Amino acid sequence: MYQKFENYLNTLLSSPAKKKRVLWGTLAAFIFSVALIPTEFVLAKMLPGKNNDTYSVYIDLANGSSIEQTRQVSECVVSILQQEEEALDAEVFLGTGSPLDFAGLIKGSHFKNNENVAEIVVNLTKKHDRSEPSYMMVQRLRPLIQKECGNLYAQTNIKFVEPPAGPPTMAAIVAEVYGNNSDGIRHLSNRVQTVFQKTEGLVDIDIMQDEIYDKFEVQVNTDKITRAALDVKHVNDILYLAFEGMGIAVKNSQSANDQIPIFLTLTPESKKFASRDKLAIEMKLSSLKLLNQMGMMVPITEVVTIVAVKSNPMIMSKNLHQMTNVVAETDMVSQVYPLMDARNVILDTFSDEYEIHKIGLFNLELIDKKTKERYELLWDGEMEVTLDTFVDLGGAFIAALILIFLLMVIYYKSFVISGIVLLGSFLSIIGVIVGHGIVDLFTADTFFLTATSLIGFIALIGISSRNSLLLIDFTKSLMLDKGMHKKEAIAYATATRAKPIFLTAAAIILASTLLASDAVFGGLGVSLIFGTIAAVISSLIVVPVLIHNSDLERHFNFEERKAVSIMEP
Amino acid sequence: MHAPHTYQPTDSAGKLAKGFLRNPLTPILGIFLLVIGYMALMLMPREENPQMVVSGSTVIIALPGATANEVQNVIVKPLERKLKEVKGIEHIHSMAMDNVAVINAAFFIGEAKEDSNLKIYDKIMQNMSILPKGAMQPIIKPLDIDVDIPIVSVAFYSNNPKMDPTVLYDHVKKMQHHINGLPNVAVTDIKGAKKHQYNVMVDINRLSGYNLSLGQIVMATQSLAYNVPEIKGKSQDNQIVMIGVRNAIESVEDVGNIIVAQYGGSAIYLRDVATITAGSDIQNFKSALVTLKDESGKFSPLKDQITLTVSKLQGTNSVIIADAVKKELEKYKEQMKAEGINYVITRNDGERADEAVNELVFHLILSIVIIAILLIFVLGWRESLIVTFTVPAILAITLFIAYITGQTINRITLFAFLLSLGLLVDAAIIVIENIHRHFHAPGAADRDADELMIEATDEIGAPTNIATLAIILTMVPMAFVGQMMGQFMKPIPANVPVALVASLFVAYIFTPYLAVRLLKKPDHNSEAH
Repeated sequence: MYQKFENYLNTLLSSPAKKKRVLWGTLAAFIFSVALIPTEFVLAKMLPGKNNDTYSVYIDLANGSSIEQTRQVSECVVSILQQEEEALDAEVFLGTGSPLDFAGLIKGSHFKNNENVAEIVVNLTKKHDRSEPSYMMVQRLRPLIQKECGNLYAQTNIKFVEPPAGPPTMAAIVAEVYGNNSDGIRHLSNRVQTVFQKTEGLVDIDIMQDEIYDKFEVQVNTDKITRAALDVKHVNDILYLAFEGMGIAVKNSQSANDQIPIFLTLTPESKKFASRDKLAIEMKLSSLKLLNQMGMMVPITEVVTIVAVKSNPMIMSKNLHQMTNVVAETDMVSQVYPLMDARNVILDTFSDEYEIHKIGLFNLELIDKKTKERYELLWDGEMEVTLDTFVDLGGAFIAALILIFLLMVIYYKSFVISGIVLLGSFLSIIGVIVGHGIVDLFTADTFFLTATSLIGFIALIGISSRNSLLLIDFTKSLMLDKGMHKKEAIAYATATRAKPIFLTAAAIILASTLLASDAVFGGLGVSLIFGTIAAVISSLIVVPVLIHNSDLERHFNFEERKAVSIMEP
Repeated sequence: MHAPHTYQPTDSAGKLAKGFLRNPLTPILGIFLLVIGYMALMLMPREENPQMVVSGSTVIIALPGATANEVQNVIVKPLERKLKEVKGIEHIHSMAMDNVAVINAAFFIGEAKEDSNLKIYDKIMQNMSILPKGAMQPIIKPLDIDVDIPIVSVAFYSNNPKMDPTVLYDHVKKMQHHINGLPNVAVTDIKGAKKHQYNVMVDINRLSGYNLSLGQIVMATQSLAYNVPEIKGKSQDNQIVMIGVRNAIESVEDVGNIIVAQYGGSAIYLRDVATITAGSDIQNFKSALVTLKDESGKFSPLKDQITLTVSKLQGTNSVIIADAVKKELEKYKEQMKAEGINYVITRNDGERADEAVNELVFHLILSIVIIAILLIFVLGWRESLIVTFTVPAILAITLFIAYITGQTINRITLFAFLLSLGLLVDAAIIVIENIHRHFHAPGAADRDADELMIEATDEIGAPTNIATLAIILTMVPMAFVGQMMGQFMKPIPANVPVALVASLFVAYIFTPYLAVRLLKKPDHNSEAH
């Protein structure tokens, strides 16, 4: 078999036309594979979804909603989860975050302390005993739950949070809207939210801002309060005591674990207002009385007036600039493509109110046509992390190429041979990309080109440069020691080295098959398997052609000796 | 063209092979490597995902009575500017709400935790003077991934819906103390707790009926609820006399018997205007519920529960701690059941980590077996056996080095091993293949086996060294990838180069050693090349 291969190489190397065909074919394959990425045949994502034994549901009602309303929505979600075969248990945390996990840490779950929030943790059966991966289950339940429970109260937001495969981010897509005018930011971010809602592939869309709701303000009439011999603190205390309640004393206890507070407030019936308007509040407050310094009872309504106002929404800023986040998750797709779609829609439709300029790679600058106020729309979240990671890994890749090139130059003292080794190893990219395309065709859900694929590719450069290196080294020693002709030496060396090259390649492929089945490291496995195949072809056919085309004698620093065929030792 | 009688190795590969080929210590070294590797595998802390150093602090400052805009101007903006002076901060996020400001400083990934916490604390304390009048003492909460993220959570619940939630809380509180005493447990926390409280709920109609103010009730209660230490006196013959003032409020009935006002000689008691109960903290809107599947596969309705969370100290083994927690719970299981309390473990990261690690170790072994089978077909079973032995030896060295450099064993470490598996058999395969070729070469029959081994190893030494160096070089830049992803992937650049270097040593030392004892030179007269 190796003899046949040697003969084949001999004929290949003696025909310039065939050699040319090999090189053009390689170039075509290279261009074809690289073209698969911009044509979205092979999709890129930082890390794919992971099959977990648990996930969380975050529930956010509009600001100003009560714990009872939150509980109602949570119960609705739980009732749907209870119909799941594979669910084991569910824990609801009302008004607070669930026990912290890594995703919750980034999403700010530990700061939750409000009546309008709840978190539900769902535990599933072990992933080995379950046919449906957790991410498929989430995809199936999401529309169901959002339709059933999300409409109980207006502006309810229900999000699904899965433990991420790698480092967590705030959301798959985060649009940061910067500006100097709160109302302008609110208007722009609402428009961005509308765009997201219409973009295919985006789910769990939310604006990280407080809704503005009606509230009532008790305004103290200073004139009256002085005349009634009261003070503002007294008024505040009584109001707080009546409706919120306060611990007014403590009692040490032998049996309990803590001091026992004595807590004073009105009875729940006494607290309830007849309705949510000014009149009802005045009615209720009139029965609350204050004891003044003269020992007289003064109804609280005597010294205050009640005014309906709007709530003050929270002001968020990042790095000293005021902003609002619009967040969205992706539904089993990479965040890159919906983001580009949404950005295109923004570019097309926002020009009615804003002048739009592009800044950086994807970011936008919007200038209000009327007021000339300046806003910025920056992308953060998984997109930012993906870009950073791919840029960093790309940098690592280039650094690896340079290091290998330098190493080869030191070893061979020739730029051309080092270049050939490098080129040969770079060709494994054909296998990496085409491999992802092939696997994608055969898997049910999208198989992404991920960060781990890139790591596999970087490792491949080393592996294929090892192949080329052993090949060139052997050719050199054959020419130097045995005085063989260039062509014969290359053919013989390639045929002899083919066996260990095949063996090591087979070892890598077999070791990687188990990797390929993993959700996160599948990309690495597929890169290694298909990249190695490409690397073997490149080292056994392309590299011999390339070194035959180069002036080996000069690069090896010796004069060609008298030709002696190996067939007649 | 063969070297004269004794072959002089020129490369370190041949020198290593020569030095160890007839050395009686070689097998002992081999066994020693395997033992330390196995010990490292058992001793290393196991985790599902690698540890990341994430530092940051949250500063919370309350300014009662201020609106969001006021808070933004007087607290958030000046403090943000001050925090910009701190080196190493990546982002400052802040939220200005009515009455309160929350500023969060996130450091670059990898910044040392203790230093970062100290820097923030220092900066805030230096600038206390810029805080507005009326602002409360700042609360500075450092972020600590190890302590903040629990590895185990347990939900305690009662099957009896009538059970007082405070009774459940008392039981969980006791359990918390038991579990907190276990080794390496850092923080235990309780979620969904209902604490004891005497609730005085005033009826607004009766209050107006008696023409009373809430303020009077407060004053009356506070005047009686006062705890004092015992008084120490002395008698004339110098004996100590202790006088204890009994607390006026000992039980919930005592609260009801407080006189809040007197009208014409008849006293109005607190119980006349209010309902007084010994209950739980009604003002706490937070609660936790649980629903779980029983044996029949049906879900129970939502029940009140209390969740106990357990986190571990940094660098300790989550598997061992989670097991210890589980055992401790088992001890009290029957006792709690008798009292009507059950529990369910709702998170067990230790078990998760153990499963992930065991699954990957199994994959690793499976891959080694597959490669061994492949080699049997191509090279023969003796050669295959030799290569297969080198793999555990290489992994053992790598594991041991990972252990002494303080790494943990996690999914990424094992993926690094799986990745390097294909690479690290290379050196051994190349050596054994060359030995094989030399053994089968014409003229091999006449030569000394030892010498052949050394020559075969030495011959491929230089290119193999360079090729391995090339692969190591590709891994090195990966160590400089920043952000969380870089931290996450760190085990790959940290372990693959070590494994590759180990693979060279093992290939040069053990492959010839085993080959000379296991392989037989073929009879060349019958076999033509």
